[in-house]
Amino acid sequence: MHISEGILSTQILITGWAGTCAGVALGLKKTSDYKIVRTALLASTFFLASLVNVRIGPGSTHLSFIAPMGLILGWGAFPAIFVALLLQAILFHFGGLLVLGANTFAMASPALVVYLIFGKSIRESQNKISVMTLSFIAGALAVIMGASIAGAFLGLTDKNFLTAIKLLLAAHIPLALIEGAATAFLITWLKKAAPEFLK
Amino acid sequence: MKKNFLSRTLNSPPHPPEFRARLFLFIAMLFFISENPGFAHGVGYREISLKAVPLEFFYSTGEKMSYCETKIFSPSDSKFAAQSGRTDEQGRFSFIPDASGEWRAIVRDNEGHQCEAKINITEEFLKSENEIENVEQNHENDAPEGFELFIRALLGVSLIFNFALLIKSHAHK
Repeated sequence: MHISEGILSTQILITGWAGTCAGVALGLKKTSDYKIVRTALLASTFFLASLVNVRIGPGSTHLSFIAPMGLILGWGAFPAIFVALLLQAILFHFGGLLVLGANTFAMASPALVVYLIFGKSIRESQNKISVMTLSFIAGALAVIMGASIAGAFLGLTDKNFLTAIKLLLAAHIPLALIEGAATAFLITWLKKAAPEFLK
Repeated sequence: MKKNFLSRTLNSPPHPPEFRARLFLFIAMLFFISENPGFAHGVGYREISLKAVPLEFFYSTGEKMSYCETKIFSPSDSKFAAQSGRTDEQGRFSFIPDASGEWRAIVRDNEGHQCEAKINITEEFLKSENEIENVEQNHENDAPEGFELFIRALLGVSLIFNFALLIKSHAHK
């Protein structure tokens, strides 16, 4: 899902940075002291998840754990994803530094959206099946939203990317299902084993 | 009464003989051109032994960048591609440089990944008939692999936790 350096237009890069700066500032403000180590743990998971490849047909893609980031960290997902993507750009050469704002926005805003939509219901629900279902939907939706935002950035830069956008969305449907399943199992387990993580 | 085009044409007086002769020659010429496709462009081929620059593109995971859109830019024109096409199944693309300087090859996939290769072509390369040894490839942007990737991943995780502990210790003071 990383957009490489040199593809997006200046306007989109600036828009991405504006959204990311606002998100990171609010995220830092809303992250309480006791959540710092938790944020670091999930930032590390996100940082390493890109190295775990999932083969889908002739190609492959990697896990992102966008939804668990949002459901566990809330607003804190923005600074966590920003730091993880910054280190991925420097150490792995994924994405780039100029496009970091757009990439952070494309991945952190779905995390925040699923937190705002599903966070409260998942925390308050006592039914295991409903927690699992909601987490699955959150996980799948976050991936589709992330791909859609990345696709929108590409489409607004150049209309020639429209075919690429269709392929991008199609390629992320299997990943959405995998991430949905991973999110469902992780959140259900956390709700049982360490419910304080979701507070 | 107003006549339509067809009736006007059918009832018009006969054309003078010079006009009919010119019309005949014009139609004959059109017929000749259309019947002989080689009249405008002949085609052919020959085998040549120019030296090409073969490149291979891959993801950091080692997977080949197969069938990806590729554009080659010459040192003199960074705006319009000198050559364009797609990589093959193995992620390979070749081009034949005809000028010295820095040539750029940009490969994009359908997921927003882009790889840019910068190849310095020397005058010696253009003149020599030997194997491609004079090509200086810029690998600055190559993604790490294997053990280097593992070390970098470890460093990244370590940096994240150290950073978090630093913030936490400051928050406690």
